Amino acid sequence: MKEHGFWRLGGKLYLAALVVFTMLPMVWMVITSLKTQFAALQYPPEWIPRNPTLDQYWLLLSPANAVGREFLRYLFNSVWVSAASTVLGVAVAVPAAYAFSRFRFPGRNLLFYSVLLRNMFPAVVFLMPLFIMMRWLGLVNTQASLILTYLTFGLPLSIWLLKGFYDNIPVQLEQAARIDGASRFQAFLLIVMPLSAPGITATAIYSFIMAWNEYVYALTFLNDKDRLTLPVGLQRFFTEYATNWPGLMAASFIMSVPVVALFLVLQKYFVRALTDGAVKS
Amino acid sequence: MAQVRLGNIVKHYGDSIAVDDVSLTVEDGEFVALVGPSGCGKTTTLNLVAGLLELTGGTIHIGDRQVNELDPKDRDIAMVFQNYALYPNKTVYANLAFPLQMRKTAKADIDRKVRAAAASLDITHLLQRRPRELSGGQQQRVALGRALVRDPKVFLMDEPLSNLDAKLRVQMRAELKRFHQDLKATIIYVTHDQLEAVTMADRMAVMNHGVLQQYDTPEVVFNAPLNLFVAGFVGSPAMNLFPAEVADGGASLLGPEGWRLTLSERNAARARRATGGVILGARHSMIGLHGEPATDRIPGRVYTVEPTGDITFVHVRIAAANVIASVGPDIRLRADDAVWLSFDQNKLHLFDVASGQALRD
Ligand SMILES: Nc1ncnc2c1ncn2[C@@H]1O[C@H](COP(=O)(O)OP(=O)(O)OP(=O)(O)O)[C@@H](O)[C@H]1O
Ligand SMILES: [Mg+2]
Repeated sequence: MKEHGFWRLGGKLYLAALVVFTMLPMVWMVITSLKTQFAALQYPPEWIPRNPTLDQYWLLLSPANAVGREFLRYLFNSVWVSAASTVLGVAVAVPAAYAFSRFRFPGRNLLFYSVLLRNMFPAVVFLMPLFIMMRWLGLVNTQASLILTYLTFGLPLSIWLLKGFYDNIPVQLEQAARIDGASRFQAFLLIVMPLSAPGITATAIYSFIMAWNEYVYALTFLNDKDRLTLPVGLQRFFTEYATNWPGLMAASFIMSVPVVALFLVLQKYFVRALTDGAVKS
Repeated sequence: MAQVRLGNIVKHYGDSIAVDDVSLTVEDGEFVALVGPSGCGKTTTLNLVAGLLELTGGTIHIGDRQVNELDPKDRDIAMVFQNYALYPNKTVYANLAFPLQMRKTAKADIDRKVRAAAASLDITHLLQRRPRELSGGQQQRVALGRALVRDPKVFLMDEPLSNLDAKLRVQMRAELKRFHQDLKATIIYVTHDQLEAVTMADRMAVMNHGVLQQYDTPEVVFNAPLNLFVAGFVGSPAMNLFPAEVADGGASLLGPEGWRLTLSERNAARARRATGGVILGARHSMIGLHGEPATDRIPGRVYTVEPTGDITFVHVRIAAANVIASVGPDIRLRADDAVWLSFDQNKLHLFDVASGQALRD
């Protein structure tokens, strides 16, 4: 009993320490973003800003000034690249996973494992080969190069996850639908798709966040200032407006909002996708 | 409603043969049960009729149309699946409405038909629930309801009662039979429970290893099984089967345990047709138990007695062989009593050992 209590307490302390460790930088980011430039540089630092201000947020989000225009440009680029690679990813992953789950065709297993093979290497390994390929394709310094790259990075896990989902949907449901008057495609669209919605949502979030946060490829493939995505754009902020710490922090905060929001809204789906799909199969 | 005609249908899965040259005709309005042990190809046959699987060979006609190449949706059939296959994310109402929506029925008609089907199955109060909020019996009714909201040419049912408890099964059996009589529906009904087949079907098709063994009315299948497989499969408890040699030019049978049984004229004529040994088949109800020997009786010893209420089953040992006979509930027998078995010669079955086929007149 006593030992039990000890481990419980120990575990809780450990988790608490972990929470502090992960949350503190974020808290500090938010606090700093609310300070004036002068207050941000004070030592010892102010834990609670004495004159909190939203000036930096207004600056970043207002198209009326140069900084705001630049930031909004990056934000828009990020949304476009992430959304495009997510939509394309779902459009490819759904039929691919369905085929892997339902059809027996020659080379099926080989193909499936080679899809997963991509995930066994760190992403940087592909940086140079992909860059060369993009040059062949004439896609260097275009957002299409990033969309294509993120697509290939998100697909393996998406396909694997969704296949687990389809494996768990009894084939009799589709058969019943086909007998009830649906074509094969209608059976998929009307019966299977709604049942796999949590899986599709989860893989879409995963792809989106991955594309949203990606830095190395965005840095390598793009030069034009107008085409940059947020992670690289922020880096430029950091160098161009080095002294404006509150501005940088506000920009970082704005960038993390979509990720956190997506997760909070859809974490239910995410957990269900991982447990329903992957574990049972 | 329509006739269904299977002409020499064959289905291979890779190298294994699931359905082997099956031909049978289900007449318009007929209730046919497809029975056989697990893995004999019943579901495969049904799915071939439904169009969910592609034929390896043969033809299928529904009505006067050949449907080999038709999609399931164009065959005008309805199917009840063993696990019901209700759409889990739809309400009962939406489940019942789905086949009608797919066929572009007007909204008002859909509502009327769904409510009529629900009322006939007594599930009106469940219309707004989802399948997982229903009991097994209720799910079964919804599955049936989804099949009968339209009026299809043929109903296909794959073990629709096998997931129900014994009591509900008896009740649903009666309802299904009534449903068939009221609708004059053509029904192909798969089951591995031969009792379901015998009680409900107009005709039953017995399958084994993908081959059709016998296709006839339950009475004929029960009283005149064509071969050893059918004899052993249909009837509960199973028919007693024991090997014997033909002796005295067919006038009697000689058992390996040393007994001798004098045959009637008709049975002797049959026995003479055997190419080698024969197998004697007798249902429990055709066997009489006696306290003293006679020329047409076989000696044995009571092994156990199983009173079931209306009827008492007596397991009798003849050397190493076990025979099940039945007697009235008021006859008292005890284990290890010596008994002599007699056979109703008019209902005795004789099979050729070599071919397994019944020996006929
Ligand atoms: N998709 C498949 N691939 C390969 N073999 C299969 C497939 N489906 C069925 N079989 C085989 O075909 C044979 C017939 O199967 P089927 O499902 O028709 O049997 P069944 O009579 O319905 O049995 P049960 O009473 O157990 O439902 C079995 O030997 C089975 O193993
Ligand atoms: Mg089956």
